Amino acid sequence: MMPALAARLPTLGLALQLARRELRNRYLGSFSGGAWALLQPLVQLAVYAFVFGYVFRARLPGADAPGYVPFLVVALWPWTAFAEALSRATTAIPDNASLIGKVALPRVALVIAPVLASFTIHGAGFIGLLLVLLLAGAGISPAGLLLMLPALLLLFLFALGLALLLSALQVFVRDIAPALPQLLMLWMFLSPVFYARSAMPEFVQPWFDLNPMTGVVEYLRQVLLGMPPPGLRALACSLLAVALALWLGGFAFRRLQRHFEDFL
Amino acid sequence: MSADLLVQASGLGKSYPRVFRRSDRLRALLGLLAGRQTGEVTPVLQDIDLSVLRGQSLGLIGDNGAGKSTLLKLLTGVLTPSQGSVRVNGRIGALLELGAGFHPEYSGRDNIAMAAALQGFSADELAARLSDIIAFADIGHYIDEPVKHYSSGMVVRLGFAIVAATRPDLLITDEVLAVGDESFQKKCVRWMEDYLAQGGTLILVSHSMYHIQKLCRQALWLRQGRMQACGDVYEVTQAYLAYHERKSAGEGPAARDLDAVRGLEFHVRGMRVNGEEAETLTPVDHGAPLTVEATIASRDGRVPVVNIGIARADGTPVYGVSTDMDGVQPAPLADGDYRIVLHFPALPLLPASYTIRVHPLDTEGMRLFDTLERLLTVRGRSSESGLVRLAHTWEHAAPLVRPRRE
Repeated sequence: MMPALAARLPTLGLALQLARRELRNRYLGSFSGGAWALLQPLVQLAVYAFVFGYVFRARLPGADAPGYVPFLVVALWPWTAFAEALSRATTAIPDNASLIGKVALPRVALVIAPVLASFTIHGAGFIGLLLVLLLAGAGISPAGLLLMLPALLLLFLFALGLALLLSALQVFVRDIAPALPQLLMLWMFLSPVFYARSAMPEFVQPWFDLNPMTGVVEYLRQVLLGMPPPGLRALACSLLAVALALWLGGFAFRRLQRHFEDFL
Repeated sequence: MSADLLVQASGLGKSYPRVFRRSDRLRALLGLLAGRQTGEVTPVLQDIDLSVLRGQSLGLIGDNGAGKSTLLKLLTGVLTPSQGSVRVNGRIGALLELGAGFHPEYSGRDNIAMAAALQGFSADELAARLSDIIAFADIGHYIDEPVKHYSSGMVVRLGFAIVAATRPDLLITDEVLAVGDESFQKKCVRWMEDYLAQGGTLILVSHSMYHIQKLCRQALWLRQGRMQACGDVYEVTQAYLAYHERKSAGEGPAARDLDAVRGLEFHVRGMRVNGEEAETLTPVDHGAPLTVEATIASRDGRVPVVNIGIARADGTPVYGVSTDMDGVQPAPLADGDYRIVLHFPALPLLPASYTIRVHPLDTEGMRLFDTLERLLTVRGRSSESGLVRLAHTWEHAAPLVRPRRE
């Protein structure tokens, strides 16, 4: 096992290098540089606070539930990282076609890099927002900041597995990338991101367990906001889905990667 | 011995799938996922067997589209082989297409970091080499500008600087170095000589046989995706040049209509070169003796004049001589034919392919009747240019000392 890991290290180093380059490039042209990475979530938070707290006066069922803004933030930022990672990574191979035809490189690094970049950028924004909310006294549990890490790691692995699968398929069938934003939007509204599961009709609620996102989101809300736990079934579904995504993604990518150049 | 084996390829081949309709891609995807090979393919390279020893450079020659670049890409690992396997025991540096692997939007510095990561260097190793690379590239403040603003010469400088700093075991290069300016080219050539002197190995694609002969000990000639010849650099390059000369001269010897020829006043009954009658002769060495023997049939019993000529495979005449010029004539044989033998004691022809022709003329040496041709290859390890070696001596000359650095 160890030599296999050592052999992978250059791949990981390359992925980190690619991710760093992508991050730098994203803020290279902007005036405020890296500050924008933290400023943007704060501005977005202010917008949500205004729209949902003041305009819509969104209210949650349950007497001692936290305000809507922390409720939304805790689920929306991880989701954004996940969705962005997926949509960027799906086109990673065709986007780097010029590199693939000319340089010998581990192709998997090209897919890992955007996933890493998205999680880094939105992870940093997420932590910054949580700290702001913590200081503002929005009821964030400080211990939750550590307890949330397994859920974020799980989400990262889920994104990675799906990214490997979709990026490999995208080389052959170019319909995936244009369909993905719509599917992600649908998935987001089917997941308890903007609402709590308890707000749904009684008979629908058990079905949420089958959505791998439910376990992650509800776990985050449990450890950060002290809301009800997701339940074993939802957690098991999430774990199973992540394992399945990683296995399937790894399998498809390994099978297909030697043929990428023939179809680019 | 196996430690010295740097590159080994066996049964190497590459083919591209034929994808025309939209459904082909989907079918290919499903087939590949199920572990099957793709259906219809267009082969671009087939059955390449190759081994390169450490320190033994290889030149790759062939027409456009013969598969040279594909082979290089298979060796560097850019492409994955469809058949066979390739193994390289060492680190490869590749200078293939202009600016390959550089991202146009990023600065030269970023691209150096990227290239180093691709080569598997850690951040520390990169930091140690960065100043060397920038100094070698010598492109001034452009190092911090995006590569898209570079001139093509600057791109090559940067690419070469990275390869030079990483000191690969095997350097694979195309004819890209011709882009740099005079001083940079000199720098490259000096580096290359240094690299080869220190036991570096080179795989070079070039259309310049001069460069191939100068830098490589072996050559591989690819033709339509297959190995046409492989081996000693002089033999392969000479065969390749001869092939080109024949190609530009049109078809080979015109078919001789024996019946028509027999009705002529004179015709060539037989021709032997070094005692051989075959149309393509066994190759002879440069400087070896050559004997041409011609038997002429004479219809009316008159004595013919015999002209014997040598031409390059492309048709350029090298030398021609007739019996009457030298004041001789063929001697009669018992059956009424005439025979003459022409002897060259030491053939000064340079290594290449030649045609030897025999023509009978009438007694006056005015009218030419028949032509018989033989193909002759001259072998030799010489990179002199031209057709023949002229007798020469150098004066006011000092012995050559080759510059050698430790």
